[in-house]
Amino acid sequence: MYVSYYMTSSPMTVGPELGIMEAKAILDSHKFRHLPVVDGEGRLLGMVTDRDIRSAFPSTMTSSEDRDIVLHTVRLTPVGEIMSANNVVLTTTSTLDDALLLFEKKKVGALPVLDEAGRVIGILSSNDLLKAWRSLFGLGEKGSVLLSIKVDAEPHSLCRLVQVLEELNVPFTRLIRSDGTDLQPPMIYLRINTYNIRSVHKAIEMAGFTVFQPTPLSIGHK
Amino acid sequence: MNANATITLVTSSRFGDHDIRGEEHPEVAARLQCISDQLQAGNLAPLLRYVEPTEAGRQWLLTFHNDSWLFRFEEEVLSGRSFIGHQDNQVCYETFAVAQLAAGAAINGVDLVEGGSGGPVFCAVRPPGHHAEPNLPLGFCFLNNCVIAARYWQKQHNRRRLCVLDFDAHHGNGIQTAFEEDREVLYISIHEHPSFSFPGTGFAEETCGGRDEGGLLNVPLQPGAGDEQVIAALDGKVAERLAGFRPEALIIAAGFDGHREDDMSGLNYSTALYQMLGERIGGWAREHAGGRVLSILEGGYHLPSLAASVEAYLTGLHSVLAEKN
Repeated sequence: MYVSYYMTSSPMTVGPELGIMEAKAILDSHKFRHLPVVDGEGRLLGMVTDRDIRSAFPSTMTSSEDRDIVLHTVRLTPVGEIMSANNVVLTTTSTLDDALLLFEKKKVGALPVLDEAGRVIGILSSNDLLKAWRSLFGLGEKGSVLLSIKVDAEPHSLCRLVQVLEELNVPFTRLIRSDGTDLQPPMIYLRINTYNIRSVHKAIEMAGFTVFQPTPLSIGHK
Repeated sequence: MNANATITLVTSSRFGDHDIRGEEHPEVAARLQCISDQLQAGNLAPLLRYVEPTEAGRQWLLTFHNDSWLFRFEEEVLSGRSFIGHQDNQVCYETFAVAQLAAGAAINGVDLVEGGSGGPVFCAVRPPGHHAEPNLPLGFCFLNNCVIAARYWQKQHNRRRLCVLDFDAHHGNGIQTAFEEDREVLYISIHEHPSFSFPGTGFAEETCGGRDEGGLLNVPLQPGAGDEQVIAALDGKVAERLAGFRPEALIIAAGFDGHREDDMSGLNYSTALYQMLGERIGGWAREHAGGRVLSILEGGYHLPSLAASVEAYLTGLHSVLAEKN
């Protein structure tokens, strides 16, 4: 559950004195969007993003004379002057939950991960977070499928479900119970590993559950 | 008899030796028997020609599988294991040899198409293959017959641009693994949506490759989808991609478990759909690939529907391939 399992380790960093043009070249050539700016000890000073750099360049509406002046200034400016310094950070003990809440609240695309001394040891992008949740849910794990089962009012329903699977000798890897929302009924999600999904449906229904199925497209659905 | 009128079945009674011991497993030896009985009793009977396959050489298995899996597979069956990795993948003492024979049948099928009569060539084999990964058995599959046939076709006959078209109800994850980075081979699969079906892969978003390149076209269908949705996909994006790619040969992963009577999927196909599939595939083979098409059996577990659907498919395929130019 720690972000350190899913982050990009030892990311590329730059010093504050690096020119904006050079920073842009690094972002462009590596297809990065975020660069941590660090001091000589590798401690985080700030983050510079492709957006910060774009804003430093003259607008397309600027007259050509003014453009030259702005471009000249850009060439002389180090990233230390345009980076954002009040950074939200993750640490080695931050969890995926921490990351998700921060991404949601701060609307950033990537977060630096720091060790106890404040040195940058990784970077976690929102895409890394999606990948982490994908792997936690097992999406795309070959040979598996996620069943959705309607929650009944009875207690111990999870125990009953597990019992059914054990009796059928069907391995499962995820079991999630969700209370539902205004739009979605309460549901149990179960990722099972078997080819014979219908036999699991039947056994689960025999045990008194209802497997949630999408509305059939055609009349005469079996 | 007009040579074009022949339907070649590459099959063997030895496929029955992959015996899963009468336990409640759907991939049974009777699958091939019922196909054979149906064809013998039906209108296609006078056209049938049977070819006994030979086991695939190890070098051809190694075009997709790795050595460590082949050793493990052989060792585990010879040591008397009843399944490998998962209860789905049941085995007996003969399974390794029989799987090699199934892969060999696919290779023999390629040679028959290349040297052949122009009529349909159908490999009625088991165990099936399209879920098998380079180092992993999955979903009753141990060796990936379609991938091995494709690699053989490329290396032995120098047909580089191939299309593997898979109409089994389940996505052929193993075939996708083989070709997703390969722009010479196009894998097209029409299957039940992976959010509701084994093996949990084959999302439409996994599609890749340009219009005239190989790559992937995944066409997932909602549970309950039937003939109408399949025909729309065939005449729409499948036809379009094939016309752009123009393969030199077609390999068909022919699975019949999308039939409405078959409990292994939530799809709702009629028997008649398989005849239409045969006609479409025959048409594409003639239009793009000089008539070169090889069909290899994958799934299909409701025995009467399986037999009737194979017959319908071969009827459709034959009707187009046997047409005079």
